[in-house]
Amino acid sequence: MNATFVRIDLTRQLRDVMNLMFVLVLPTLMYVIFGLSFSYANESAGNGNVKFYIMASMAAYGASVAATTVTGVSAVEQMQGWGRQIGLTPLRPAGFVAGKAVVALVVTALSIAVVFIVGALTGAHADHGWMWAATFAIALAGSILFALFGYAIAMLFKSESAMGIASGLLVVLSFLGNVFVPLSGTLLDVARFTPMYGFVGLVRWPILEGAQSGSADVDPLWGLVANLVAWLLIFGIVAVLAVRRGRTRR
Amino acid sequence: MADKTGYMENATPALELQDLRKTFPADGGRISAVDGIDLAVMAGEIVALLGPNGAGKTTTIDMALGLTAPSSGTVSVFGQRPETAVRAGRMSALLQTGGLLRDLTVQETVLAIASLHGAKARVEEVMAATDTTRLARRKVVKCSGGEQQRLKFALALLPDPDILILDEPTAGMDVNARRDFWATMRRDATAGRTVIFATHYLEEAESFAQRIVLMNGGKIIADGSTSSVRALAAGRTVAATLQERGSIDDRDPRLAELRSLAGVTDVQVNGTRVAITTTDSDAVARHLLNGGGGSALEISAPSLESAFVRMTRDTHPAAPPAPSADTVGA
Repeated sequence: MNATFVRIDLTRQLRDVMNLMFVLVLPTLMYVIFGLSFSYANESAGNGNVKFYIMASMAAYGASVAATTVTGVSAVEQMQGWGRQIGLTPLRPAGFVAGKAVVALVVTALSIAVVFIVGALTGAHADHGWMWAATFAIALAGSILFALFGYAIAMLFKSESAMGIASGLLVVLSFLGNVFVPLSGTLLDVARFTPMYGFVGLVRWPILEGAQSGSADVDPLWGLVANLVAWLLIFGIVAVLAVRRGRTRR
Repeated sequence: MADKTGYMENATPALELQDLRKTFPADGGRISAVDGIDLAVMAGEIVALLGPNGAGKTTTIDMALGLTAPSSGTVSVFGQRPETAVRAGRMSALLQTGGLLRDLTVQETVLAIASLHGAKARVEEVMAATDTTRLARRKVVKCSGGEQQRLKFALALLPDPDILILDEPTAGMDVNARRDFWATMRRDATAGRTVIFATHYLEEAESFAQRIVLMNGGKIIADGSTSSVRALAAGRTVAATLQERGSIDDRDPRLAELRSLAGVTDVQVNGTRVAITTTDSDAVARHLLNGGGGSALEISAPSLESAFVRMTRDTHPAAPPAPSADTVGA
């Protein structure tokens, strides 16, 4: 890993207007719309209030977009010749991946932090201070799932349109995964098997401990972890297969 | 060898390719992009890799750089693996396609790659040498094709390599940008480096290289000093109409007569016309006009290009003859 290289990459990510819109502004805006404009926003929910619940949900969405974007864009750039340019330097693939991981972590952390700061300033409340840190850490760590997702989509579609596809899918998966709108009934039964569900359930664990806002069901911790691990495996395998397919095609 | 002058180090080629082959899967079978290449380039040589698109130049370069693994054969750079030479900064390259991030500035791009080479101290010097200093704050996406190539050239110079490989460095540039690029190259880049560049512009090969390696169909079809390759194009072409209509019969006795003239190396029939390549165009003209049956004569000096077209055609008998300004059309 190389500090100058990482710093330049990070600067580049943070001045990209589209990046900033979708990674920093949109999740915050959605928190403001969903979290502040309803009368029930200050009611208590689990170990906090509704604002904290919505803040955690939008932070999870923002983290997924940030991780998907950084790795997906990077994979597309690798295919468009930047990988060959890097291949002519002493930087090994492991060093490159480590550098990208740092960039993805920083951008994702920023995305979560912005939502949290706006949340803190607008009355999101948790019963215990540690819940803020725990929610933040779970969102950051769980976003690795979407780093793999972004990479897999980029390797499958092999062009810049891959990022449009990935962002669109994330919105659909967020609705399906109980992130934006509380689901119930059959939709909720289906939602349990989609990739956002386990992730967002874990991000909300400190406040809800598995409880649902749209249903009386309570998810066990192992169920949410199983969902996350299963999708980690699936996206990981898809990414590896896509890389192999790309190699044999060349 | 009883060499006591200490040239043993120099006797190791800078780059050596041995029976290099690369096949790719295609349509159920495999196609051969590089089909058995042997090449040794000595330190300090400037070599042009000349050939039409699809000749296998880029695949050969990718293997020489260690970016693509050969299907068989070996690559050695100063006796080492190419990856080792690249990591040590002894060999670098300007690659043909892509290779730049559009939203970085020129300065950032150079600094990023320099930091990976541990060559930040060379940034200023290299940017000055490649005339990219005045572009420093410009985004890559706002640079013209020629400016982007100069930037890639700067990146290639950063490790101060012993071997510099350029894959069609002037592709997509207009004539002026091409001239500027080679002027930069001549002024600063060579300085004792071994330079290997791929091109399909003959004049670039002719004016810049000491040695030309002609490639076609994945093979080397000619390899020699620029003057010896230019000699392939020696002589003149005399074209004349032999009959008014129809097309000339291959067994026409006049063709045999032409072939038997001193200095004639090639006789090509093209409908009613015939094109004779010869070292003595006066004799051919005299013969054609004095009872040889020719009219509407045209005499032209073929360029390296027509020699090149002829040679690449010969190795691809199925391909139609490529039209050329120098071989006279009807």
